[in-house]
Amino acid sequence: MGSLSINNVTKSFGSTQVLKGINIDIADGEFLILVGPSGCGKSTLMNMIAGLESVTSGELLMAGKDVTHQSPKDRDIAMVFQSYALYPTMNVARNISFGLEMRKVPKPERDRVVSEVATLLQIDHLLDRKPSELSGGQRQRVAMGRALARSPEVFLFDEPLSNLDAKLRVEMRTEIKKLHKRLGTTIVYVTHDQIEAMTLADRIAVMKDGVLQQLGTPAEIYDDPANQFVAGFMGSPAMNFIDCPVVDGQVQVDIGSQRHQFELPCSDAIRAGGYHRVVMGLRPEMITQPKPESAEHGVAAVMDFEVTEPMGADTLGIGQWSGQDIQARLSPEAGLQAGANTPIQIDLSKAVAFDPASGARIR
Amino acid sequence: MVNVSPARLFIYTLLLFFALIYLVPLYVMVVTSLKDIEEIRTGNLLALPDHVTLFAWAKAWGSACTGSECAGLAPFFWNSVKVVVPAVLISTIIGALNGYALAKWRFRGSELMFGALLFGCFIPFQVILLPMARLLAELGLANTVPGLVLVHVIYGVAFTTLFFRNFYVGVPTELVRAAQLDGAGFFAIFRHIFLPVSLPIFMVTLIWQFTQIWNDFLFGVVYSGPGTQPITVALNNLVNTSVGGKEYNVDMAAALIAAAPTLVIYVVAGKYFVRGLTAGAVKG
Repeated sequence: MGSLSINNVTKSFGSTQVLKGINIDIADGEFLILVGPSGCGKSTLMNMIAGLESVTSGELLMAGKDVTHQSPKDRDIAMVFQSYALYPTMNVARNISFGLEMRKVPKPERDRVVSEVATLLQIDHLLDRKPSELSGGQRQRVAMGRALARSPEVFLFDEPLSNLDAKLRVEMRTEIKKLHKRLGTTIVYVTHDQIEAMTLADRIAVMKDGVLQQLGTPAEIYDDPANQFVAGFMGSPAMNFIDCPVVDGQVQVDIGSQRHQFELPCSDAIRAGGYHRVVMGLRPEMITQPKPESAEHGVAAVMDFEVTEPMGADTLGIGQWSGQDIQARLSPEAGLQAGANTPIQIDLSKAVAFDPASGARIR
Repeated sequence: MVNVSPARLFIYTLLLFFALIYLVPLYVMVVTSLKDIEEIRTGNLLALPDHVTLFAWAKAWGSACTGSECAGLAPFFWNSVKVVVPAVLISTIIGALNGYALAKWRFRGSELMFGALLFGCFIPFQVILLPMARLLAELGLANTVPGLVLVHVIYGVAFTTLFFRNFYVGVPTELVRAAQLDGAGFFAIFRHIFLPVSLPIFMVTLIWQFTQIWNDFLFGVVYSGPGTQPITVALNNLVNTSVGGKEYNVDMAAALIAAAPTLVIYVVAGKYFVRGLTAGAVKG
């Protein structure tokens, strides 16, 4: 079936190592997202799964079978490319059936598959067109159709939505999720868009500089980040980081004109580690206007907001704690009144702390 | 009447002037070839013929003397065709495959290979004359049509490879990867993905190679035998052979016959030539 094991895989170009021992096990039918900033090695890893790049060391197993050195055509894999890579001189129908043609599937069978796939993706009226006569969204569908036609065990998506405009991107995102629900095929999906990662994935693999930083469900990645990089990369607006001194395991923060001392969920670990400074991580939605219904979970403070950025559903308020920029997520009404000496409520139940030198999570 | 600014008028006048300078020799050749020898001797070089005669054309084609033989250019014309057609086709096909491989299939030493081929474009003809003569003798191909074809193919492959390589570099690599995942191999990808987009560059290469090989004199004169001389060599012999007085009208007609195929090719396929030369510059 469509399970995939990446065992201690490395990749070097000359003397530069771009992937440093990646280990990921992907279950059959799982939707795994590889996410990270440009140059983190996620596309290289995907090309290695496809067989388009050679593996320097380590092994790739598909359904328990070693495919490390198999050529792309012998792996049961189909890929959707960022640029779609539709064959410019072939019409849509032939683009979809080309893979079957190369595998010597007889013509009637090919026609059946094409019409089936075209119906599924609602492109049956486009079959005679050339790729240049299609819109971006239609090309995207054809590219997916080409991948679907061969009904492979594993789908690879290489930033498939990054060339679409914002509205279409959201639509296609939902389509891909529906498609995965319907087909239940294993999907490995590369993106640098953390919202795509959060919304689509069963599990997310966050990468940086060729190293796997964390592998987990979207909720794990969001609420329980392994280090400061993952915490800062996932989530929009990004997590607030405040470099602050430690007094008796509690972090000391200046908000407005007051000095606060917070007991964090990880304060015991801070004490045990003997830290004098830590970087506290607090998501913007944990800093809000006072909420009487949940006041007992929060700490009250008074903060000076310098700027507010209305986003519709809520308003970002920007001010400073201990001289460092902080974003708070306020309701639109509270946002209108935010300014100097604005009362706020801080929920510390999900606050985290990192080692200021290494960025490692303290827990 | 469209308004023409003085600057525009100046440009057109200048262009017209230079066009005339280029066209006058051709004009002189054509009118001279249509005159009889008496009129050439007495009349004006630029004057139109009093009475048009195709005598000179017929003689140049069928009975003018090229050295000791007097059978005109016809047999040599066909010699040239026999060399040019296979040489152009073979060098173009090899160039297309080479260019495709060098553009899209990196292998150990592919850069070095390409560098060496580039270098091949800059080797002057004269340098290889003697070694090539040795090689042809060893192969038993001296003074034969296949020998000449071989020389032109070897010399042309450097250029055709360069043309195709630079054209194919502009074809997105993701297409190759998509086709690989679709199960296509080296030749299937070439046939289904690359060949269908290659018309412009094929035209450029065909025109270039045809012109080069048809117009070649040096290889033709060195590596051909009595029965295999190309038309350029025959033209030279014809002009240098004089029986009685110099027959300018026959010389002109012969030169036009020798030049005609390349002219025709440019007129027929010229638009592809320009299109193909610029196609590589802009990414699709």
